[in-house]
Amino acid sequence: MTDLPGQTATRTGADGQDAQASSRGAAGEINLDDALIRVEGLRFTRGEREIFSGIDLKIPRGKITAIMGPSGTGKTTLLKLIGGQLTPSAGRVEIAGLHVHGLSRRELFRMRRRMGMLFQSGALFSDLSVFENVAFPLRVHTDLPDAMIRDIVLIKLESVGLRGARELMPAELSGGMTRRVALARAIALDPDLIMYDEPFAGQDPISMGVLVNLIRRLNDALGMTALVVSHDIKETLTIADYVYVIADGKVMAQGTPEALNAESDPRVAQFIHGKPDGPVPFHYPAPDFAGDILDGRESATRRRES
Amino acid sequence: MKRTRMLEFGVGLFILAGFLGMVFLGLRVSGVTFQQADDTFVLNANFSGIGSLKARSKVTMAGVAVGSVEKIELDPKWFDARVTMKLDSSLRGKLSKDTTAAILTSGLLGEQYIGLSTGGDPDVLEDGDTIRDTQSALVLEELIQQFVSNFSKS
Amino acid sequence: MSGLNRGPLGAITSLGRSSIDVIAAIGRAGMLLVQAGIGIPSREGIGLWVRQMHFVGVLSLAIVLVSGLFIGMVLALQGYTILVGFGAEEALGQMVSLSLLRELAPVVAALLFAGRAGSALTAEIGLMKATEQLTSMEMIGVDPLKRIVAPRLWAGFVSLPLLTIGFSVVGIWGGKLVGVDWLGIYEGAYWSSMQSNVDFIGDVMNGVIKSLVFGLVVSWIAVFQGYDLIPTSEGISRATTRTVVYSSLAVLGLDFVLTAVMFGEI
Repeated sequence: MTDLPGQTATRTGADGQDAQASSRGAAGEINLDDALIRVEGLRFTRGEREIFSGIDLKIPRGKITAIMGPSGTGKTTLLKLIGGQLTPSAGRVEIAGLHVHGLSRRELFRMRRRMGMLFQSGALFSDLSVFENVAFPLRVHTDLPDAMIRDIVLIKLESVGLRGARELMPAELSGGMTRRVALARAIALDPDLIMYDEPFAGQDPISMGVLVNLIRRLNDALGMTALVVSHDIKETLTIADYVYVIADGKVMAQGTPEALNAESDPRVAQFIHGKPDGPVPFHYPAPDFAGDILDGRESATRRRES
Repeated sequence: MKRTRMLEFGVGLFILAGFLGMVFLGLRVSGVTFQQADDTFVLNANFSGIGSLKARSKVTMAGVAVGSVEKIELDPKWFDARVTMKLDSSLRGKLSKDTTAAILTSGLLGEQYIGLSTGGDPDVLEDGDTIRDTQSALVLEELIQQFVSNFSKS
Repeated sequence: MSGLNRGPLGAITSLGRSSIDVIAAIGRAGMLLVQAGIGIPSREGIGLWVRQMHFVGVLSLAIVLVSGLFIGMVLALQGYTILVGFGAEEALGQMVSLSLLRELAPVVAALLFAGRAGSALTAEIGLMKATEQLTSMEMIGVDPLKRIVAPRLWAGFVSLPLLTIGFSVVGIWGGKLVGVDWLGIYEGAYWSSMQSNVDFIGDVMNGVIKSLVFGLVVSWIAVFQGYDLIPTSEGISRATTRTVVYSSLAVLGLDFVLTAVMFGEI
């Protein structure tokens, strides 16, 4: 793939050709050659269904990259492939030069210490308090004395505004608080890479705003590379430096948020502007509606007769 | 922290109780005694029939348990049963040469055991000696058979 | 494709498919046992094991001991009515203790353990899977097989023999309660008939060996069902049921095999 200047967006058509789409004004430079994660020709099938049919991604270092797409396109699956929890049927994933799926179990776990991941459900350990949840990565991966662990945990909790909630158990937290605690836990070891799985899904506007701010601030302050998977277009576009749109197992479009906003391709425009129906069908593939209904009636009659 | 200590204490008690239970099963239920293995006195006896006597059956003297049957094997020379008994070492050098051994039954249908009774010979049995004078097990079927045949004769 | 799913051919197809699934599941269970069970325990690992000993062992103690007491009492009552017909009621102690030590304590304690602790282990691990706790642990760089599964597996393995011993002790005492204190057998006869017929290695230890095997199998089935389930609420409830059913069957089947090996040639 060619070196892309920040002003342009590239659309990868179904035929695999690159096409210039639009440009935006002066902004932060995105250098895709300095990529922390490289995904090449990634294919993944689950059962009979092909979820990814050859995906190429470059996640620039120190930036926030968003991966968007309609639900059911396997965005979470993509994160699991990058984190080495699933194995692709073809293609490779490289993080900081390491081939993720060629690592031994031990090496894989060592690599994951440099990664943080925020799960959609938060996934806090339900038998540990908020404090112990955040302290967990520190306790298992470092030999720091208790006093220092306490300091680090309090700093992390303070940064998500939940220092006062440290004695609570996960069951006592609201959804937004859970996700913030999970965020504090994900950054406890100051990872190089943090992956957010649907960070805004199911949040009220206030906690959504808080999370948007937090993700942006953490990236600016700590220089972490962030990968956000989301279908909340408005929020994602406000924080992302670079965006990939995935649909039908392929990268449909990529570029800076401004470039994508001005995108003319009808499929991309439909998704970005949230139109209910368009080239991306609202319906799951099904036989003709009228025929289906009549067929059902026939079989019901047959059943009654027999 | 306090909760963790309570928990550890509980688990510790649980494990200790398990071991105490094991000791109870050993001492009270299976009657294991800690006597020295070499501090015993071994005697043999040949019986023409042992009935249902088996290893670990008890050996008594005047009704007092003084040892147990160690092993039972067939003596290929005489085709009878050779029983090895392990007796209390305090009996060493006390049993006269003409001591008799009989296989007895506790109750009508109870288990079988060996009863020893001493004679008056001044010579004594040494470790590993064989008791000559033995009385075999009373087999109920044979007894009934005898009784029936005697009864029909008269 | 669709032709293979219908008619007599379909039955064969689905039979083949389900046998492949079963064998694959056994393979996954074996890999789980190896990956979780083998390893050097750390100081922290022992702490986690103690926690689980409390959860699966100490908390199962009450139900196991109460059941043991009642079973011992029933054995004494039933045994007495049979033995008294032969005038052999003195042998009650022997009957109660041998039935308990050889069969009833290992088997009943294992069945109770499967119902009380096994199902709870499955549900707990399943819930962790459903709420992505296992995945997030993996992403933090901690192997859930070592951190979650291993302490539970080992706690089950150690707890069940201890529970079984408790079951036997309480059962024998319950038998004494009924036989001696209620039905009036001479107490000395109760204990002596026991002592002269129970062998420490042959009876007590064989019972303990049985319970070690059952402890491993029940907790293995429980953690595997929890780790391997479909992470939905329906999946959890199904896996919990499967744990109880499979471990009960495994306990009874293995009991026969072990009994045949241990006491078969006598």
